[in-house]
Amino acid sequence: MRRSLASLGALTVTALGLALPMEAGSASVVGAVVAPSGDAFSATRTVERSFVEADGTTTTVSRHEVTVTADHTQNLRGRERVLISWSGAQPSGGRASNPFGENGLQQEYPVVVMQCRGTDDAGVPESEQLRPETCWTASVAQRSQTLRSSSESTWVHDVHNSEADKQRVSGMDPIPADECPSADIAPYFTHLTEFVAANGTVYPGCDSDSMPPEAAVGAAFPAAEIAAFTDSSGRGEVQFEVRSDVENESLGCNDTVACSIVVIPIAGISCDAPAASPSLADRSCRKQGRFQPGSSNFANDGIDVAVGPALWWSESNWRNRFTIPVTFGLPPDTCDVLDPRAPTGFYGSELLAQAALQWSPAYCLNKARFKFQLNQLSDVAGFNLMLTGEGPAAVVSSKHENTGGDPVGYAPTAVTGFSIGYVIDRPDNAGEYTDLRLNARLLAKLLTQSYLGSDLGRGHPGMGGNPLSIVTDPEFVTLNPGLTSTNQEAAATILSLSNASDVIEQLTEYIVNDDDAMAFVNGEPDPSGMVVNPAYEGLGLPLQEIPLLDTFVPETQNTCRQANPSVYFSQLAAPVTTMRKIAESLLDAWPNVQTRCDFDLSTQQFKTGRIERQSFGSRFMLGIVSLGDVERYGLRSAALETKPGTFVAPSDKGLAKAVALTEQEEKRGPFVLDQAAVSKAGSAYPGTMVVYTAAKVRGLDEENAEKVAQFIRVSTSEGQRAGSGNGQLPGGYLPIRSTGPTSKLYDSARAIADAVEAQAPARTPEPPTPVDPPTDPVDEPTDAPSSTTAPPGGNVADLVIPDLDPPGTSDPATAPEPGAVPVANDAPVVDTVPTAATQAETSGIAGRLFPMLLLVGFLGLMLSTGSRFFVRPPRVPS
Amino acid sequence: MSAAATGGAQLAPATRTARAQRPVTGPRPPQEGSAAVITTAFTMVALVSLWVAAQALLFSGVSHDRAQALLYQDFRTQLAETTAPLGPVVPAGDPVAILSIPAIGLDEVVVEGTASGDTLVGPGHLRSSVLPGQIGSSYVYGRAGTYGAPFGDITDLRPGDVVETTTAQGVTALTVLGVRRDGDPKPPPPAAGVARLVLVSVEGEGRLAALSADTTVFVDAEAVDAFPAPSGRPTTVPDPEKILATDPGALPLLALCLALLLALTLGVVAARQRWSAVLVWVMASPLAIALAWMTTDTVMRLLPNVI
Repeated sequence: MRRSLASLGALTVTALGLALPMEAGSASVVGAVVAPSGDAFSATRTVERSFVEADGTTTTVSRHEVTVTADHTQNLRGRERVLISWSGAQPSGGRASNPFGENGLQQEYPVVVMQCRGTDDAGVPESEQLRPETCWTASVAQRSQTLRSSSESTWVHDVHNSEADKQRVSGMDPIPADECPSADIAPYFTHLTEFVAANGTVYPGCDSDSMPPEAAVGAAFPAAEIAAFTDSSGRGEVQFEVRSDVENESLGCNDTVACSIVVIPIAGISCDAPAASPSLADRSCRKQGRFQPGSSNFANDGIDVAVGPALWWSESNWRNRFTIPVTFGLPPDTCDVLDPRAPTGFYGSELLAQAALQWSPAYCLNKARFKFQLNQLSDVAGFNLMLTGEGPAAVVSSKHENTGGDPVGYAPTAVTGFSIGYVIDRPDNAGEYTDLRLNARLLAKLLTQSYLGSDLGRGHPGMGGNPLSIVTDPEFVTLNPGLTSTNQEAAATILSLSNASDVIEQLTEYIVNDDDAMAFVNGEPDPSGMVVNPAYEGLGLPLQEIPLLDTFVPETQNTCRQANPSVYFSQLAAPVTTMRKIAESLLDAWPNVQTRCDFDLSTQQFKTGRIERQSFGSRFMLGIVSLGDVERYGLRSAALETKPGTFVAPSDKGLAKAVALTEQEEKRGPFVLDQAAVSKAGSAYPGTMVVYTAAKVRGLDEENAEKVAQFIRVSTSEGQRAGSGNGQLPGGYLPIRSTGPTSKLYDSARAIADAVEAQAPARTPEPPTPVDPPTDPVDEPTDAPSSTTAPPGGNVADLVIPDLDPPGTSDPATAPEPGAVPVANDAPVVDTVPTAATQAETSGIAGRLFPMLLLVGFLGLMLSTGSRFFVRPPRVPS
Repeated sequence: MSAAATGGAQLAPATRTARAQRPVTGPRPPQEGSAAVITTAFTMVALVSLWVAAQALLFSGVSHDRAQALLYQDFRTQLAETTAPLGPVVPAGDPVAILSIPAIGLDEVVVEGTASGDTLVGPGHLRSSVLPGQIGSSYVYGRAGTYGAPFGDITDLRPGDVVETTTAQGVTALTVLGVRRDGDPKPPPPAAGVARLVLVSVEGEGRLAALSADTTVFVDAEAVDAFPAPSGRPTTVPDPEKILATDPGALPLLALCLALLLALTLGVVAARQRWSAVLVWVMASPLAIALAWMTTDTVMRLLPNVI
């Protein structure tokens, strides 16, 4: 969707920053810059490898016309993924199962993609130029060659290398003796590509201790640079994750420090003239690979170094680089740093998060506007804060019960939705699966914890015969053929939200609309005989949150599990609080399954925890994510079944179609998407959600009313221009326009902005509410304690004091000013407000203690005296 | 205890020989067998029950008065030195305020904490509420029938009566809003800037009302001129500090006290074989009374905190 949005936006980005700098005098470069569309990038150049023969002639070994494209390059954010694709490259061989970081070194003819600081332009100062020393690698082996034998030191014979780089010790000069005492030992060859951090610190990179802190073993983020694979037709593509200075301070890319993505198709070292009798090194330089194109190198066997990725910095490879200049967006804390005003927080849905990230600088950097801040909360909590007046507006995506007295308007602000994100590898290193299809019953099975996970789940009463995970469910296999059938715990669950959310409500509405799925939930076995988890049978859907109902604790011989008995299915599901966390779990292929159980040597105790990251090549993970995150992080979304046999993936078209189906049931109310209509229409995306700015149209103070009205107006006009810049609408959102299917949303938003700004006159003291729909008094608890100024949570009312008038509700921060003391009142009992009745407590022991004690005491006294008196033995005669 | 008593009975022959020369009537021989067991058992039951009741209802006033005298000296020094606590967290048992209600002749030092052990010395302040006189609702629990019965008469208060609190911040005069019992409407939450003081105790009904106080009763008082309260109070208190709660933490101490009593009994038995009865009496009585006193104090901690 991002690509289509990018072309829609058609921002005129000039070719200025995209012009590929040519190196003067480089004979092999005959590239031509292809005009980019939007902020995409495309370039073509010729990559060739040649050997200088003993007689001085040059033989060209290979020549490839390589075209590299990137789908978007502007205003990137930390961890955003850019789709890099190429064609015309030398097919790779010896494919690694995990191409990231140092795991990708044992491959032949890969395409190295990495992030470097600087621009590739001879015109800029040297400190801002891109060099191998400013390119990030997460390991030493990727950047330095230390203590190589002469046969391994092929870079010394690189014809394009300068004389200095052909020496036995080259690269960093001089090598710091204190940090790298063993880097220079004759007769071994060493080349150090030091790393120059953004703050100027130089890390020699001769061992893991002399690397930047972000490259430490077990660093917070996995390696992003990749030695990617080119298929036999010369094509390849990779989702490259960029890092900002938040994630990688040493690399230091941000909105002011220019950075680039460097793509180096490895063609092999071009060798200089061999010695009279070719040495071992000459011969190794001329090697052309030992793996067949398309083959795999699972065993991590050795490769011909001359065609491997480790020598990317050697001039023969470096000169073939494609430099894709990228720019970074403003950091998330821009507004906090640049605008000293107090923010106005709107509370609610995370669905708006990615849009708010781009929108908020357009507010705080403009003095005519207020300082907008989106505080993410569950929809219902945000809505209640708005009702009680603690937030000027709520961000929600469905109708919520209005427990306050004032009418509320729902102004459409963005059209987006959720999707079932996934990361799934096809078996046998065949790459990622990109075509996942799911239906409502499969989702119901996942959400009701009906897959067993592993043998531990087999003992679960009532469903021991179910498949271990979704990959062995015949229904799933029919929809998604060709995937692995190896069970893993992460494939038995879908990472979901732990708190109430409109997203879960809509997802469960989608399930409710499907008769087969509901029959399954209500206890009917599916065609393959799988049954619902008895703990969830008859679950009353739809719900705002999926409860963890299972209580099964497996019996096992595992001593760790015996020491930590826990509910196995809850460990599998382990829902999290935000969709952002789910998106990052998918990005890292790190399921939140908490079944790891091992012995901690430091504390001498067994402990449970999150399982390891999944290994590349056998990843399988599902999660509920927002469409904004999907586009930002380049995640994949499953296509959901609408009509039988019709599967719809999120797209602008699917969203627009769904918006056309929505209906506004009451004035100023939300637009309701009926899932029955979605399944009837077929092509509408069932996960489409409209995000509203909900605000009171009566009873809001003037200042906040103006802010809310401003926000609604700006976000439905300027905020709906697709793009990656400040104030623009990021990918994953369908622009709301005054024409087309979204026009009704636009009209409604405009009308509500006017109503919010106008603020209907304050209600007369009569209690009934004339305008807004009748509210249900059952929901009273939500506003009962908030009728005072008590801050939520700071209230002592949860004390078990029998007498429940709110104690200590006065906030010390609101200590009265001298003049603000209320007028003294001799009888301050205000009996106009009905209050709860006092509940006395009684204690049986307190009431009966002393009477009983006295009774027993006197009784004992009487009996003892009596027994002395009556039961006395005869006197002994003296 | 009955073991000790039986021991005393077995000891008797030695006594008898010592008193053999007494007049004709002679000593009544000790009872034997089940009769002896019954008699001594009843004696012990009577002793234990009556002692506990007597100490809790009568003698405990003495210890309460003494504790109050000490606390008062302590607190007035603190007030003079301006080191008296302001909250929000005060160690349990420290004096925090002086409460005086002229209408019922109450004049007490309030201590921090409402566990049974804290209210033995005087009214206790609920640790999750503000201090008396500060803005917000402050709760003070006091005993109604034992240990001086400081709150025994609070039900006599009438709207308009004055409650004076003295804390580190100064003197606040609160006006009583009324006595609240089961089912009475609660007053609305205090308005901003108002200090509310809720006195909490128990009362009984019927002829034995003084002995069988078992139902909570509340007295609300308010002052519009209040002191600001620091933030950071705990939001809840441990179970033993809630209303009518008991403090099971006293059980180990009770076991120790009983063990000491047992040891004293054995000591008496041993001493009786060497020394004359008079000497043993003189030596053992104060110890026995002190131990019994301590034991009863500990037992009181196992009973509800406001009786």
